[in-house]
This record gives sequence, C-alpha cells and structure tokens, in this order.
Amino acid sequence: MSMLLTKRLARSLWRTKLRLSAVILMVSVGVFAGIAFGAYANSVTTLYDDIYADDDDGVNLPDVWVENNGGNWDGNTSEKLCQDITNEWPINELTLNKCEARLKSSGQLFSDDDEIGMVTAVWHGIDEGELDRVWIPEHDCCSGRTASAANEIVVDQHAADALHIGIDDIINISAGAGYSMGFKVVGIGFHSNHLYFAQAGDLLPAEPGTFVTGYMTDEGLEALANFNPGESNLLLLDISGTPESEELASLLEEISIIVSENDDSPMIVYDRTGIASVEFLRADVEGAMKTYPIVTGMLAMVAGITIFLSLQRLIQSQAKEIAVLRTLGVRQISLMPGYVIAPIFIGITGGVLGIIPGVLFGAPGMITMYESIMGIPIINPEISASMVLQNFAIAMAIVFLSGLRPAWQASRLQPLEVLRGQHEIRLSSKGLQKVTSIFPATVGLTIRSSVRKPVRLMFTFLAVGLSMLLFGSMIIMMDSMGNVFLGGLEDRQSWDAQVFTLDGQEGIIEWADENDAVYEMALMFPGTPENDSRQLLAYGLENVATETGESMYLVDLAKGELPSSGLETPEVLIDEGINNFLGWEIGETHSLVFGTKTVDVKITGFTKGEISRTVYFYRADLAEKIGLQATVIMLQLPDGVEVDDELAQNSLGITMREDTLASFETIMEKQQGMFYAIEGLGIMIAVAVLFNTLIMNLAERDTELATLRVLGASNNRLGLMLFGEHLAIGLIGGILGCIFSLIGTKIMISAFAQWTMYFTISASTSSIFILIGIVVFISISLTPIGMWRIKKMNLVDKVKDLSQ
Amino acid sequence: MTLVEISEMERHYVMASETVRALDGIDLSINKGERIILLGPSGSGKTTLLNCVAALDNPTAGDYSFDGESVPRNHAEKMTTFRRENIGYVFQFFNLLQDLTVLENILLIQELSGKRDKKRAIELLSLVGLEAEVNRFPAEISGGQQQRVAIARSLAKSPKLLLGDELTGNLDSATSSKVMEVLVKACDAEGITVIMVTHDESLAKYATRVVRLDSGKIISDEKVNN
Repeated sequence: MSMLLTKRLARSLWRTKLRLSAVILMVSVGVFAGIAFGAYANSVTTLYDDIYADDDDGVNLPDVWVENNGGNWDGNTSEKLCQDITNEWPINELTLNKCEARLKSSGQLFSDDDEIGMVTAVWHGIDEGELDRVWIPEHDCCSGRTASAANEIVVDQHAADALHIGIDDIINISAGAGYSMGFKVVGIGFHSNHLYFAQAGDLLPAEPGTFVTGYMTDEGLEALANFNPGESNLLLLDISGTPESEELASLLEEISIIVSENDDSPMIVYDRTGIASVEFLRADVEGAMKTYPIVTGMLAMVAGITIFLSLQRLIQSQAKEIAVLRTLGVRQISLMPGYVIAPIFIGITGGVLGIIPGVLFGAPGMITMYESIMGIPIINPEISASMVLQNFAIAMAIVFLSGLRPAWQASRLQPLEVLRGQHEIRLSSKGLQKVTSIFPATVGLTIRSSVRKPVRLMFTFLAVGLSMLLFGSMIIMMDSMGNVFLGGLEDRQSWDAQVFTLDGQEGIIEWADENDAVYEMALMFPGTPENDSRQLLAYGLENVATETGESMYLVDLAKGELPSSGLETPEVLIDEGINNFLGWEIGETHSLVFGTKTVDVKITGFTKGEISRTVYFYRADLAEKIGLQATVIMLQLPDGVEVDDELAQNSLGITMREDTLASFETIMEKQQGMFYAIEGLGIMIAVAVLFNTLIMNLAERDTELATLRVLGASNNRLGLMLFGEHLAIGLIGGILGCIFSLIGTKIMISAFAQWTMYFTISASTSSIFILIGIVVFISISLTPIGMWRIKKMNLVDKVKDLSQ
Repeated sequence: MTLVEISEMERHYVMASETVRALDGIDLSINKGERIILLGPSGSGKTTLLNCVAALDNPTAGDYSFDGESVPRNHAEKMTTFRRENIGYVFQFFNLLQDLTVLENILLIQELSGKRDKKRAIELLSLVGLEAEVNRFPAEISGGQQQRVAIARSLAKSPKLLLGDELTGNLDSATSSKVMEVLVKACDAEGITVIMVTHDESLAKYATRVVRLDSGKIISDEKVNN
C-alpha cells in the first residue's frame, strides 16, 4: 500500500515540475556554493600551513618579532640583544630555537619604462636566512635562487609579474640614502610579510606596478641604504613547537621588558598577529572556513522551507484521498514514508547536481579567483571527499527534516474532519477581521487573504529573508567597502601623496617648498595598550579636525568631542574597535606603550571607519612622547607637479592617492563578477520562494476566484485585488528581508571581527530602498501570472466543481 | 415582454470517440418576471443550458438574445461584462467567502460591480430575513442562512435574471422551502426573472413555468398556475 501511495505522491510532485525543479536547484546551488567555498578554504589553509612550515620546504615563520621603530641597532647591539633574550629567557616551558637579526628598509625602484617611473618599495636584508626565508616554490610562478652576493636580489613574484622583471635583469633601486644602485635579479619568489601584497598600513592589495618588494643579502641592503655593516632593525625569534596564546602573550611582555632594559630605542614586540599579511590571510581563511557550512546550510534551509510548504500544500490537496484511505483502515504509519522519501529524493538529486559542477567548476573557479586577487599560486588544491560529504550531509539533513512535519501531519489527518471539509476552513484572526472591517470589502478581503496562512507566510518571509541576506549582504558590503578599505580617502583625506621618512623631513619639506606644494607633517607610530601585546597605530595629526580645510587628514568623529592639544595628559580619539575590544570609554584615562615609553592618554571621543585599531593624537603631543617629529609628510601637489626621483631618494617610500584609489577599483572589478553572481543567486531564490507561495495561495483561492468570476467580477478587478495582495506581501517581505539582511550581515561581520580587522557596516538609504524594492518588484511581477491563471480558468468546469 | 430568446441552440462536446450533443436544438423564450424551473435527469442538458444562458459557456450553434440584444460569445471579457450587468447566480454550495462577514460578502459584489451601496445591502439581507446576522461570518450561520445570503448576494447588483443551479440540493426539505419562499419573495419584490435547475419536482410549486429536458432537447414546457 505504501509503495502505491509513494508512487501516487511521486506523480503528484511530477505534476508540479517547475516548483520541483526550483527546489532541486536550490539544494544544488547550496551544495555547489558550499563545495566552492570549502575547497577554497581548505586549499588556502593547506597552502599557508605549507608556506609557514618549520621545515626545509617551508619558510620557518618566526613566532616573535622585535622591531626597532626609531632607527637601527648596530651590529653589536643586535647581537647583544639576542644574547640577552637567550640568557634571560623568561618561560621555561618554551624553548628558544633561534634569534636572528634582520634589516628592513623602505625605498624605491626606478623603472626604465617612463610610464611606470618610480615605484614604492620595501627591501629586506637577509643575513643567516634560517628564519622567515624567501619562498621559491617549484611552480611556474617562480624561479631562480636566493641572493648570495651583495649585488643580487630576489624580486617578489607579485611585482615581477606586474613590472615584467625577469631573472638576470638589472634593476635600479634606492633606500633613502640619496642615491640608487643596480641589483641583479637572481630569483622570483615570495616572502611571508608580503604574501598579501599590500603596502604598509593598506588593506587593499597594491595596484600592479605600484609596489615592489625585494630580498637581498644584509650586505646588499647595508650598501644600498648606506648603513654600517651589521646594522639591523628586526630580531626574529623562533620557538620550538606552537606556543599557547596565553604563554605567547606573557612571553611578548617579558621580552619587551628584557629588550627595553638593555636598549632604549623605541621598539615594539609582536607575534604573528602583528604581521599584516599573515594576519590578514589567516582572517580570510578563518572567515571562509566559518562561511562555507553557513552558506550551504542557509541555501538548504531556503530549499527546506520551500519543500515544507509545498508538501503541506500537497497534503492539503490530497487530504480527501488520505481520509478515504484512513477510513478504509490504512495505518497512520503507512502514510508517512512517501512524504519522507520525497524530500530525500529531492535532497539526493539536488546534492548530486550540486556536487558535480561544484567539484568540476565551482572549486577550481574559486581557487583561480583567489589566485587572481591575491596573486599567490595554490600549489596543491584540496577538494577533499570529506568536505564534499560534509556539504552534502548538511543539505540532506536540512532537507530531510523539512519533510518530517508534513509527513507527520499527513498521518494525523482526521478522516471525519476531512470528509466534512472542516480541515479546509482557514480563517483570518478575529482581531484582523475587526481591524480590516473599516476598509472596503475588496481591501479587507485582500488583507485577510494575504495573511490567511500566517505560518506559511512567516516561513515564506523567513526564506525570502534568507535569500535576501545573500543579496542584501553583498549590497550592504559594497556600500560599506569604500569606507572600510579606503578609510575615508575619498571624503576625508585631501593629500595627493604621502611621503614616508624617519625624522628626515627636512629634504622633503625643501622639495615641497621648491615645488609650491602644500605640506603637512604627521606621525604614524605603532604601539600597544599597556599589558596587551596587540598592536595599534597612533596617528599624530597637525590638527585633529572634522571640517574640510582644517587638515589634509580629517577624522570621522562617531561620538564624543575633538581633543585639545598641549595638555599634560594628552587627549586622544580612539576608534570604535578599541572601544569594542578593550571597553575603553570617553572620559577615561588609559596607558599606551610606544617602545620603551608608556604614555597616559585621556579619551575624548570615538572615531569610525578604521579597519585597524587607531588612536589619534595631536602631532606635537605624540612627538613629545616618542621623540620623533614626523614619519610621514602629506603633500598637496599643484597642477603639473609630480613626485620625482629627488623626492624619492630622500624618502622611505611614497604612497600616491591615485594609486590607492586605483587599487580599490581594481579589486572591486575583480570581485564584481562574484558579487553579481551572489546577488543574482539571492534574487533568483527569492523569486522561486515567492513564486512558490503566491502560486499556492492562488491555487487555494481557485474556488473563491471562480465564484467571483461567475458572479461577474472582471479580470481587471480581480487583478487589482491580486496586485494589492502581492504588494502587501512584497512590502512586508521586503521590509523583513531588509531587516534580516542588515541584522544577518552585522552578525556575520561581527563573527569575523577581530583586533586586526574590525569594521561595522551601515546600509545607505538607497540600499534599503533597493532591498525592499526588489522584493516588492518580484512579488508584484507575479501578479500577471495570477491573472493569467484566472483568465485561463474554465468557468464551466469551475461551476461544475462549485456544484459538486 | 421577452427577456431571453433562444433559438436552435446547440452545444456539442467532442469526446475521444464521439461528439456529445449536450444541447440539441433548444428553442426557448422567457418573459420578464417569469420563474422557470428546468427539470430533467442527469445528463439531460439542464446545467449546460444554464451555463449558456449565463454566458459562462459558448453555444456551438444557434441564436441567443437577451433583452433584445445578442449575447456575446467567444470573448471572455465581454461575457463577463454581460454577466456582471445582467446575471445573478446562486450555487448549490453557497460559495460565500469565508473571510468576509455576511454583509461584506454582499458589499464585495457591489464593489466589484463598481456600485457599493451599504444601505441596499442591508435591505437585501432584511429581505431574506437575515438583518440580525449582518456581522456574522458564514461559518457562524446555518446552511439555509448561508444560501439566503447567497441569494441576497446575487441580488445585490440588481440583475435582470437570476440563475440557480441545484440551489436547494444541499439543504433539507424544510430549509429548502424556506429558502425558496425567500427567493420568490425577493425576486418578486425586485422584479427579477429566475431560472433554476433542479432534480426536485416539489420545487415546481415555486415556479411559473416548468421546462423539462432530456437528451439535450426540451420535451415539455408547461405553465404552472400557482
């Protein structure tokens, strides 16, 4: 008996092929997306593990960095510091493997190509090279060997590719010494600090051809930068095994004390979270790892809701047959299997249809896109069977659960009630009837019909909300992206170039005066909260202001007041992220650590729009505390004046406003395809969900509509009623979908928020209108389908039905 | 004065193996104010005739004029307009809208016809004896009361012709009588012509004329002296 019932159910489902296909498609899209994201997350995790590994193939990423922000240590000092750290090693449970001194300097590359001209650079002088080695994998991307002679260099693959630099080329470079030198390229590879190829302080990957990094011997960099032999500004510490985070925090604090007791340079001690590239890529992978089961689950849930509603409708339409069977003695348990098998069939079909393109196209596509955006080759792509099965299992579990309740409902139908037709009576609530009685009957009927099945409607809104979360999150993200990634560059910053220096501002100011450029000095200096190893960036601005014209770098004050300068305890603004993570409030005084100096600051307000943790000082206040006057000179260039080699040779690096804006446009262009695909997917699913519910609503109202047609109601009148109903559903669904998108995106963002990358999102009014408008549009677009259905009604048959 | 003039009306259905002649040359003339009962066995063509008169169905052949005008056919919107302007219809199963009160059911039809008139709606409910039930929902009143609401609803837009298809078929005999009395009273009061399809010979006493059909033909057409 149950087999025949199952066959009957299969035939019934087959009659709703369009709806069935839509549901299967939703499951397959969920599995497809899960596999694509999962493969990306797994492959990238494996890639980073391989790159950072402490073995011959890996780069042996250090665990602790000690960086001198105020200049270089001479050879003896750096050796002594390493010796002091070794001798005074503070935590017995951890073993120090190696302490290696390094030299790093900003600089420029001068291209022979006039169109490229001067390129901002970072040069690494690598001494022993046991830690944080250059990574030259056996892959088409890379070739050559590490530098061994003083005039040799390995160029980062990102830059080599963009600047068309090859092995044996001679490149002309400088490092702030006032002259340039030629270096022979002996290798093309990567370095852990620059896997994510962005300039210091930038979140966007550098626009191709605007940034270069190179890895030479320490002698090579000493010669280039006119440093003394043995000078260094970095100590790399490698510890056996992987220390626990608490042990590591304590170790950083102790090492900071050891170093500051033995040297008074402004230095900072940090772990891997202090390396922007490492941390950014880790956060990216962590985000992808968290996201892919959610994406699959969310899409499967939308499919599950659609299955649930469709099965409920099917059971309602088959209620009389079920009642007859029950009257004839068929057991409740015999009725259930078909309704359980249906979603399993849908899940398996959708799952298989998602797995095949997911493995063949989705996963490779995501990996290729990652390679294109990040510029890092994924050498061993990983599309594991367990990840595929995990996605399939999530989809199956959700889809299976969606069939249980309708199956149970089918088995619980009371034959007498069904045969009397009582199960079909569905009235709107008394309260709603009372409220709507003030309207004309047509309007009252429209409203009451719309909410006649509140559970179905709520589930529909939930499904629309989920699908709009896909669309909405993209819209809202794109809305906030400019703010997040550009840090207000377009709205709040009016400089044309930022020229970096380490207290060597005289040459730059001279250049500015000669070229009639307006300049403003600023400080950017890393620090930490007291008793906390996490890094923040202190800005020292000439004028901490919000109004155009008052400063080349305006702050976006979210709460509180602007600080005053020259007070004994400097007044500062902190970003919302610091407030969020440390709970620091306006009016409170807290301590910040800059190298060996601890500075008490009073908070007067919060700023927004900073993705990194930021504190804003008056430059004079910060300069007094850290002993540096400027690390960056912001320039406004008159028409026709461009930065030149003279300026470059007197600086440690130059960031051009137009390059940063171009980077943003490039990354948006690269990701646009994916954004549009996700937006389109969200809309398609919302269409399918609304279509499903509205068609079911219409089908259930056949009798009602047929009666009105027979009684002479015109198609246009009925169409107007349907339009009103769809408009109401669209409006409510749109508003709920918008709220869902906002809350969902905020939850998603806050789940990924961390010290090094914190941002809040806000939707613009136009985005809110788009979100609501799309659902309203979808909903009312389905009115013609309803009208077509009414128009094609065979009234003779309907009258026959009405009389039976 | 003639309201309905049907001449040589035929309605054929093409089935898989044969053509069914549901109406096979019907000639029928109905004057204003008449109450006609169509009687006949199942398959005799009663409902098909009713559907053609209501312009729900298109006759295969023949002429049909209403109040001197030719009735539109093969044009859904024109047929709908014809129904809206001329025809009231009462179903066997009432088919009231469960979400609307008794009064709202009537107002809805008025609104859809473009002439909402609450006073008249209440008057009609009084006419069928339901003035006390205006704010109740269909599920809260009896079957007989529901059918009386359906009658009031069909009169709401002042049709020239009221059609009923087995309108007492779902009611017991006592309730049927009450409904029919209400119908006669209401239609007389409004001057409305009535055509009813039924199996129930006993309803003949409410008619002014009884037309019997069999195999798609009129086999008798008798005036009734009530």
